[in-house]
Amino acid sequence: MSLVEDTWIIPETLARSALEAQLAQHFNLEALPEYTAVVTYVDTFDWRLYQAGLILHVHQRSWSLYANDGELILLKGGPQCKKACSIDVFPEGPMRSTLAPVIGIRALLPLAEVELQGRQLHLRNGDGKIVLRLVLEEQRLPGETHSFRMARVFPLRGYDEELAAVRALLQAQGIVEPVSPLAGFEAGCLATGRKPLDYSSKFTLALEPQLTAREALQRVYGELLTAMHRNFPGTMADLDSEFLHDLRVAVRRTRSALSLTKGVFSAEALKPFKQGFAELGRATGPTRDLDVYLLSEEASLARLHPELRSGLQAYFTDIARQRRKAQRNMVRFLGTSRVERLLSDWELFLAATPPPGGPLADKPIIKLANRIIRKHSQRVLRDGQNLDANTPDAEVHQLRIDCKKLRYSMEFFSSLYPEEAFAQLVKPLKAVQSILGDFNDLSVQQELLATTIRHWDMHKEAKETSKGVHRNALQEAEAEQIAALGALMQSLYEQQQPLRQHFAEVFASMTSDAQLELFNSLFGKQQRQP
Amino acid sequence: MSILAVYSIKGGVGKTAAAVNLAYLAAQEGVKTLLCDLDPQGASGFYFRMRPHSKYSAKKLLKGGSHLENGIRATDYNGLDMLPADFSYRNLDIVLDEQKKSSQRLAKVLQPLHKEYGRIVLDCPPNLTLLSENIFFAADIILVPMVPTTLSLLSLKQLYAFLDELGSGREKVRVFFSMVERRKKMHQQMMQAMGGKQSVLTALIPHCADIERMGLYRQPVMAELPSSMAAQAYRALWQELTDGDTA
Repeated sequence: MSLVEDTWIIPETLARSALEAQLAQHFNLEALPEYTAVVTYVDTFDWRLYQAGLILHVHQRSWSLYANDGELILLKGGPQCKKACSIDVFPEGPMRSTLAPVIGIRALLPLAEVELQGRQLHLRNGDGKIVLRLVLEEQRLPGETHSFRMARVFPLRGYDEELAAVRALLQAQGIVEPVSPLAGFEAGCLATGRKPLDYSSKFTLALEPQLTAREALQRVYGELLTAMHRNFPGTMADLDSEFLHDLRVAVRRTRSALSLTKGVFSAEALKPFKQGFAELGRATGPTRDLDVYLLSEEASLARLHPELRSGLQAYFTDIARQRRKAQRNMVRFLGTSRVERLLSDWELFLAATPPPGGPLADKPIIKLANRIIRKHSQRVLRDGQNLDANTPDAEVHQLRIDCKKLRYSMEFFSSLYPEEAFAQLVKPLKAVQSILGDFNDLSVQQELLATTIRHWDMHKEAKETSKGVHRNALQEAEAEQIAALGALMQSLYEQQQPLRQHFAEVFASMTSDAQLELFNSLFGKQQRQP
Repeated sequence: MSILAVYSIKGGVGKTAAAVNLAYLAAQEGVKTLLCDLDPQGASGFYFRMRPHSKYSAKKLLKGGSHLENGIRATDYNGLDMLPADFSYRNLDIVLDEQKKSSQRLAKVLQPLHKEYGRIVLDCPPNLTLLSENIFFAADIILVPMVPTTLSLLSLKQLYAFLDELGSGREKVRVFFSMVERRKKMHQQMMQAMGGKQSVLTALIPHCADIERMGLYRQPVMAELPSSMAAQAYRALWQELTDGDTA
């Protein structure tokens, strides 16, 4: 991360007053009031702010957001951030509008506490014009004696000579060692076991082609198990919906790998794990499904005639209630010793030297990878060729699953292949997956709506209350809800159908001659299509 | 409105004070703003305690690009930069005259700055010349401070006549009353006579010591005395100017 300001270590031997006295000989020095505060640095679990060059900290309810072009956004009287906070709790304004596109649906988590103490100096010329701002700051972890003493230089546009003069002056005082202005933040993260960019939901793993299949798969599974462990606490604490999502992706990838790479490990030994992870997938499904509906709330409301929106809001309120219940059930399940044992047994299995192998255990991974990718791409190509606007939903669904398997197998082994050529193959696959995924999401949402309408218990609430005055109002509310659900279902249908028109065209980009040729060169010759 | 020209044929009407304070307000809204002082007296620069670069000149302004951008300096306030005027600007009209499309040159050199700056405020010299033509062409709004006197009315008429001669620009003009002294009968009468016209704004800037003293404390009255009457008056003026404006 680069910041335009430059930041330097102030040597232990140099007193701040001595430095200020030196500066005062060349500039009119205006010292702003001394500040001391314990600030909490926050970011999303996957470092979205850090990656965007943004630093955000909060002191009680005062939020400061530093952009790497030196801009600063302040928010007084903002939300508190004890465990986690989402963008929704921020008031409208520059802070929210800057953060929203960066953090998206992820929550902000408190990552590190740092005590900041220092003051800002304005260096003015003979006209009284500020020509440079200098912050002399100590950053210290609460309770520790060691501190980072730093001088942070904030130049002003068009005052380059003065900047050069200040740099020379600092240098003459022995201020020569650069330091990250985030030194305190990074130390604070380390103290809580985090490190910037230590988590990404993307699967990245470097494998060497000469590894055996067993060694390579050990690493793939190990990586996925780490992802499960890392997302487990956030899922249990329900910090944001992405923890559960990432946890489920790691489980699904593990299950895919188990079925894609038959013969590498002993089938007998894998059996309990296959069952265990299948169960883990099932147990976390309902909460995730409800999350997906809730995430679509805003977009769904926007689809409807304003008159119908209140009816839909009631529906989403009910979904939110169901989701809370599902989350409670899931947490109960995830807390059982069965889940704990599954994960620890799996860890032990992978750590064994070597884990019990199958017939393919000692084959070079590159051969196995070629074969797996070839096999699954053939399946996708075969089924995809028949894809057109009239393909039944069930077949579209099957193709989506096949694409997913192909994509996973390509991700597991991507490091074995040349990066650029590989990316060229993945790109059209991504496009196919994206359109099939959208199609499927729209199907699932319509199904839920259809089920809800079909099983609607007429006048359920009205029956429960005996007062006639209320009955009419309740019946009216129910009618509004049903009308809203019907309208939403229609709107989803209208969006879904045109997607079919694009199936064939998107798929064609996967099967161009150039793509097939590239494919053959990477994974070996394709068998003839029947 | 991305280019606001604060312009008057007459001098000493509170033009620079308006440019400085409105530019400050624009930046306060979080829109990166450039105040461009085109008046060789350099009064805007004086209010921001700023001098031009020693190597900067009228020629560099009209060359544009990095020649111009190297002349830009940061003020003491977040989001507000300034291109201070150089004394060589007194010859701007002569240098302009040597250019091709000499009445559009200013618009052309300002054009690339829109990438960085959401708003550009021009503090214009008091005269009616080729440079004025450039300003009228480049500006989205020509904001005219007017002291409510008969003589001011005369110069406003001259401005309109000039714009008509050019064939466009009339619709860009907004007039506000400046240095208003409510005790003076003539001020009241003039304002009554002109008020209600479409191009005349209702917000007015009173004649007051706080604005006059800007020359002493050398910063926008908005920054030095944010709750003063003068500051409130500029805020109201800015509000009226930007009403319904999303730029």
